[in-house]
Amino acid sequence: MITGKTVQSRKTQALLLLLSPITILLGAFFLIPLGIMVVYSFLEPGLYGGVEWTWYPYNYGRIIGWPLNDYETFEPIYLSIFLSSLKIASLTVIFSLLICYPAAFWVSRMSERRKSFVLFLITLPFFANLLVRIYAWLLLLRPTGFINMALQSIGLVAQPLDMLFSSFAVIVGMVYIFTPFMFLPIYANVEKLDYSLVRASQDLGATPLQTFLRVILPLTLPGIAGGSIIVFIPALGNFIVPSFLGGSKVQMTGNLIERSFLQSRDWPFGAALALLIMASVVLVVMFQVVRSSRAQARGAA
Amino acid sequence: MGFLQIASAHKAYQTPEGTLVRALDDITINVRSNEFLTLLGPSGCGKTTLLKTIAGFEDLDGGDLILEGRSLKAVPAHRRPFNTVFQNYALFPHMNVSQNIAYGLDVAGVKKAERDRRVGEALEMVGLAGYGGRKPSQLSGGQQQRVALARSLVLKPRVLLLDEPLSALDRKMRETMQIELKNLQNSVGITFIFVTHDQEEALAMSDRIAVLSHGKVQQLGSPNDVYDTPANEFVANFVGTSNLFSGRIVENDAARGLVTIETANGRRLIASGRDFANGSAVKMVLRPEHLRLVDTGEFEGAGTLEGQVKDVIFVGSVIHVHVDVGFGRTAIVHHHHDRAGIRNAIEAGANVRIAYSPSSAHLIAAERG
Amino acid sequence: MNRILSSFKIFPSVFNIYGFLFLAFLYMPLALIVLYSFNANPINIAVWTGFTFDWYRTIFGGAAVETTFDSAFSESPQRIFEVVKNSFLVAVSAATIATVIGTATAIALARYKFFGKRFYQTLLLLPILIPDIVLGIALLVFFVGVGFELGLLTIIIGHVTFLSSYVFVVVSARLAGMDTTLEQASADLGAGPFTTFRRVTLPQIMPGVVGGFLLAFIISLDDVVITYFIAGVGSQTLPLFILAMMRRGLRPQITALAVLILVFSFVVATVGLLLRNRKS
Repeated sequence: MITGKTVQSRKTQALLLLLSPITILLGAFFLIPLGIMVVYSFLEPGLYGGVEWTWYPYNYGRIIGWPLNDYETFEPIYLSIFLSSLKIASLTVIFSLLICYPAAFWVSRMSERRKSFVLFLITLPFFANLLVRIYAWLLLLRPTGFINMALQSIGLVAQPLDMLFSSFAVIVGMVYIFTPFMFLPIYANVEKLDYSLVRASQDLGATPLQTFLRVILPLTLPGIAGGSIIVFIPALGNFIVPSFLGGSKVQMTGNLIERSFLQSRDWPFGAALALLIMASVVLVVMFQVVRSSRAQARGAA
Repeated sequence: MGFLQIASAHKAYQTPEGTLVRALDDITINVRSNEFLTLLGPSGCGKTTLLKTIAGFEDLDGGDLILEGRSLKAVPAHRRPFNTVFQNYALFPHMNVSQNIAYGLDVAGVKKAERDRRVGEALEMVGLAGYGGRKPSQLSGGQQQRVALARSLVLKPRVLLLDEPLSALDRKMRETMQIELKNLQNSVGITFIFVTHDQEEALAMSDRIAVLSHGKVQQLGSPNDVYDTPANEFVANFVGTSNLFSGRIVENDAARGLVTIETANGRRLIASGRDFANGSAVKMVLRPEHLRLVDTGEFEGAGTLEGQVKDVIFVGSVIHVHVDVGFGRTAIVHHHHDRAGIRNAIEAGANVRIAYSPSSAHLIAAERG
Repeated sequence: MNRILSSFKIFPSVFNIYGFLFLAFLYMPLALIVLYSFNANPINIAVWTGFTFDWYRTIFGGAAVETTFDSAFSESPQRIFEVVKNSFLVAVSAATIATVIGTATAIALARYKFFGKRFYQTLLLLPILIPDIVLGIALLVFFVGVGFELGLLTIIIGHVTFLSSYVFVVVSARLAGMDTTLEQASADLGAGPFTTFRRVTLPQIMPGVVGGFLLAFIISLDDVVITYFIAGVGSQTLPLFILAMMRRGLRPQITALAVLILVFSFVVATVGLLLRNRKS
């Protein structure tokens, strides 16, 4: 005869057994590292990497251009790099959105069999190695690359276009890499779109443009928001794409962080930059959470 | 001491919106051995929750569950001598029919030879001999239903719990299975606790019915009791169709067992009844099939009502006549249409007289508020 | 009336052309790499001068590196074999551990009620959501801080951290699609929790578990950014090896190696996606 307490305690035991691995894993190798990074960002950089355990808020000061000593003047170079990273990430979001939005409608109108095949085709490049995909665009965009050769051979341009090592190349590369990220959330939303609402709008006399702006767009907005966030986050922190396709001309915050850690060995400054990115990510996610919960509250009312 | 006692069972849960729902609010039922007990009620009345707590899938907040004097509260689902037939049958899709039926015997450690024999018998019992090798997905709804029954009955449970098992079947199949289930229960001699929201199903199959609403037992009795003498307004309305007239008892003829009630606007109606004192507020329940449309002068001494026909609805076996009886109420009369003479008179706008036998009028206490 | 709807019908070809261009955008760059990995031109990869298997041969050691023009820039088959071995060791270990942890977590969150569930649900998404570089440097700071020597072990740990979340997402979807009454039915028929798990739950979620494993395996095999920060001197993986090669310049051997990786990734990912999407 088992008592009520042992039934409950067995359940608790099973739950503990199931949850302890992930708790240990994410506690020790995720939350604690992030915590250490926060602490480091307020410490003085050591001479040969590492940190000195003294309070040092100037890592953040340096980001906004604060002069550290008499030889430096106020120069917000890191801030301007951060702002241009924001710009590149935002443009990446906008272009991948423009590409994926019509494609989502294209797929949603297909028969079931074709649909699952095309969805598979769109998801698959996500699993292609990041470097392989960047490599492909290096070959395409080079002055002696495929695109320039094609343009020259049909006589569209006389001199090869200087496409590589520019913001343009970085944005093209990132749009290419993050397209599956943008597509899937939008598609999930478009797929659920109730076409009787579209018909109702037209029946009530709305023009196609009005129907799009006032019915289709608002209804697919959650997918657009979701896809935008999922693309914006990795785009903002990216350093591999700009280091290959941007060369030395395009600097993003990710490149600064990489260099702080692996070259100049100024870990606290790199940590502060990383937290700047984290803060932007948290802001964007919070904005979306507030927006969607407000929409839900409106829906409930 | 009953066979299985459900003793003031309580269970409440919080909805996502934050309101507290009392799914089981002090439920006490003494389940008898070998009976076919139906838990009847609308969705959300607590009947499925009650079944789940008996099966052991959910715990009680308060109260107890006692099988032959032994509390089951601390016994987990897999150790209770009860088996369930699920609403969606819950057949394991990765096992074939025989493996499904053998599952319970297998986990109980029954030897293969014995297991095969009993699976064979169970298949025979539900008329599916030869189907053992099929996958559940290759069976029709009715066949899946039988496999689910066989899978439970092969373990010879003390109680078989059935959670709306017929609701997924079409009407014809449902009626066939009703009879089969009832016969099966007679032949295996196992207590069945059957959950349904379908009052006709409940009336047709049960030895006793427990009508549930808002987590409370509204009435527990035989199908006849529940239908003829509903305990309250809810039961009167939920089981069958009722005409309800509220009023106050103004005369009490104890010798003849008759009372007279007066409605709010002075209409007097007679009914048989002894349980209510003068002045008490009551409701009179009249079943539509107990009302008759009569010519003036007929049925002296019977209860009568006059009114004007509002709607006449022909449903085949009977005609539903909606009569405005004056005091803000509409009476529904199920009129048999073989009497051609009167039928002509029944049309919207006609003045008619309704008669009923006082003994068919059932009185219930008016609920407060 | 149905102007938008009929525009779908009247201009299906417009949509189809758009869709075709969309797929071309996704696949043309990859197709070009494949094509030009067979280009004999050793100087400009983009100018086609003839068909050759040489670049593949240099990888497998079939063509002596010395005989090719590109020998100075090419890596030896032994070196390639070593980094491939490292990559597989990391991917198999990390994906296996992540599958166990991710599956256990998915079951706990799907089948138990407990305080702090919302916290776990949010926490589990974070390793996927935060930028790779942040996770990479956080792990670097941590490993160096507590005195872990950077090497294959730190790469495995780092990968398990975010792969567990991927497996969790895939297996959770599978569990959410599974009929919970099957588990109740099993308990009802007398099976204890462990038997129910082994004989009912596990067979039902198996495609999700295997699919999750394969996707985790391929994500680990392809990971560049996080590995980049937490790899030690002697623990280069294949993507880091290619990264180093690419920094030295574009050589035909890289193209051939890229195609091999691409094909392998696509084959494994295809099996993983098919299993993930398979209906029960």
